[in-house]
Amino acid sequence: MRSHRAAVPRSPRIRARSASLTACVVLAALVPTAASATGAQEVDAELPYVCALPSGELPVTVRVSADFPGRATPGEAFSPDGVTTTVELPAEAVADLTALDATTARAATRLGVGVTQNEAAATATWRGTAEQVALPESGPLTLTTTGDVPAVTGRSDGDLAFTAGALAVDLALGAADGSPAGPGSLTVDCSLAEDAPGEGLLATVPLGQDAADPDGTPAPPGSSPGTPGASPGPQDEPGDRRRERAPEIAEGAPGGAAADRDAPPCLYDDEHPSTSASLNAYVTGYTNVKKLKGASLLPLSCVLIEQGPTDIDFFPDFSGGYLSQHSEGTLRHQGRAQTPPFEATFLTFGFTPTKATMVLEQTGPMTMDASGETSFVTLATSLETRVRIPLVLRVTALEVNGTPLAIGANCRTQRPLHSPEPDPAKFPGDHVLLTGKGTHQPPDQPVGYLLSSGGPLTGEVTIPAFTGCGAGGENLDRLLTASVSGPGNYIKQTQGQTCAVQVFNPAECTEDLQPLKIPVPER
Amino acid sequence: MKKNMRRFAVVAGAAAAAFGLTAAPASAVPSTTWTVTPSGSYTATNSGNIVLTATIPMTCTTSSASGTMASTTGNPATVASINAINFGTAASPCTSILGNVTTVATVPWTVVAQDYTAATGVTKGYVGNVKAVVTAGACKFTVTGKASATYTNSTGVLAVSSVSGDLAVSSSPAPVNCGSVVTTATKPIFKGNYAIKASNGTIPKIVGTNP
Repeated sequence: MRSHRAAVPRSPRIRARSASLTACVVLAALVPTAASATGAQEVDAELPYVCALPSGELPVTVRVSADFPGRATPGEAFSPDGVTTTVELPAEAVADLTALDATTARAATRLGVGVTQNEAAATATWRGTAEQVALPESGPLTLTTTGDVPAVTGRSDGDLAFTAGALAVDLALGAADGSPAGPGSLTVDCSLAEDAPGEGLLATVPLGQDAADPDGTPAPPGSSPGTPGASPGPQDEPGDRRRERAPEIAEGAPGGAAADRDAPPCLYDDEHPSTSASLNAYVTGYTNVKKLKGASLLPLSCVLIEQGPTDIDFFPDFSGGYLSQHSEGTLRHQGRAQTPPFEATFLTFGFTPTKATMVLEQTGPMTMDASGETSFVTLATSLETRVRIPLVLRVTALEVNGTPLAIGANCRTQRPLHSPEPDPAKFPGDHVLLTGKGTHQPPDQPVGYLLSSGGPLTGEVTIPAFTGCGAGGENLDRLLTASVSGPGNYIKQTQGQTCAVQVFNPAECTEDLQPLKIPVPER
Repeated sequence: MKKNMRRFAVVAGAAAAAFGLTAAPASAVPSTTWTVTPSGSYTATNSGNIVLTATIPMTCTTSSASGTMASTTGNPATVASINAINFGTAASPCTSILGNVTTVATVPWTVVAQDYTAATGVTKGYVGNVKAVVTAGACKFTVTGKASATYTNSTGVLAVSSVSGDLAVSSSPAPVNCGSVVTTATKPIFKGNYAIKASNGTIPKIVGTNP
């Protein structure tokens, strides 16, 4: 029993191999971080929930399945793997959706998971997304979402208990013609039924070596937990650095809930004062790394925007006009134009966890140019926004099997990441180009990317060759370049609702004028 | 030249709205006595989406109002006051191609009756004393004026369908950060239906007579 350790044993051979493994890490698929453990426990819990649907409260069965480690080590982060949330909507609930003229639904789930050790507690948000499904004309519907979940770290021995709590199901509803149906989106809030078995207990993971069962059958919590160290991600403001009792939820993974404010600060300050046209917003998303056949989470990042005026140039027959708007912005993190540091962990060769810490640094102005048109006859309006931003990818740390590897202080791409640019004469130089499109046909609501309200931005980027990587005589440039650099890497970023800081709106801004809306990364 | 073009274009956009209103026949003698039953407080809830247009259209999926109504005399005559009106909520704000739109009304507004057709039970008039601050992102402007409307006794629907020129964009305060898309030359349009309910749950009736 005592031989079961959470951390994977490190061998000299792995260390020697690390240089080549390193290459595969950067921007790699985000898979459960850090320590894996022996004797995994497979959990498949069927839980009764009560969900608030448009027609009223309905009982809904929710299944949560995940692989937990049988045991973990204090101070080392671990993540439940293979997390799947299945929501079985009864026929009445489906009828509520079809009553909105919806024929399809794409679900995203946000499951609040309590993580407790003794009396100390923390809450993680397990996010999952699903492919679009067709709504049956009648009868029930099962929505299955999957997603990566935040790592958890306990600092001392004892049992960590994971308990399912409130569930929110975000539904994007589509009509038969592909346009949004009804309000376009619907959030169904669900709470655990009072008679839920084990009050929603999903699993108990023993920490340390002194507990009885390495397979980690649920047991009462043991001693006190602690703080982690894993993925700084969007939350590199550890807040209280003293020993905290509560288990630490690392938010290297998706965004974080608004209620928790699991978000980096996003504020105007004396160094960067606001104007009447100032907006701030969070963005987050994924980028594919084609060579690694994976995707990496781009962390929740703050953008400060000076929104330009919207101009109209009327059609010759006065039936409408062309719209245009030029805005400028910057990433902002602790006073610098960059994203927060973020991690991606990749199972190199399918079995060796290798972790890279990276940051995207902005090397020039960020611009947002929108163009479109509106019809005075039909009121149909459209606007396409192109966001351009020069970004260098810097790798700040590498770990193979938990062993840090000397990467040097200046490991980065030689040039900024760059996208195909349709108008290179007007927009020279290397930059990432992301495009968002919005359309509006009154009396319906607009859909797609809306300049001040956010939405999806997509693009394709080339990752240039790396330089300056390696230390102590070991040059890792070529390995990184060979493994990661290349064209055709799809990016999808989701921008949240902006806060117009000098037009305070409590529905859009926190009291201290940060963006209220924290977007969820979408694939 | 460009300015003239703009004005013409906005007028053209409003033409469709104006056309619908002029179709109803007017009664021969203007009403001067207006009987509202029941009088007292009422609520109004949008029936279908509300569309506000200031060059660019904005859609509100929710809008509601409340106030009081009473019998009165004269022509035009204020038969009701709107003591509160909201466009959108935090959960479902009004939206446009430029993003969420916040509209904050300065009340009271009024409901003014001008013409009653006994055969149809339809009162023509307008929503008056309109004033609201509209914000979309960093663009902020103030709308003032009135909005032509009809009220139908049989359905209890107040159909607001303003025509070009009813509403204006204020020059004081002038629009901020809006560019040429919203200027003081812009003629906003306000369209949408509201279902009216008296406090006792019934549909109020407005009847105009000329004793």
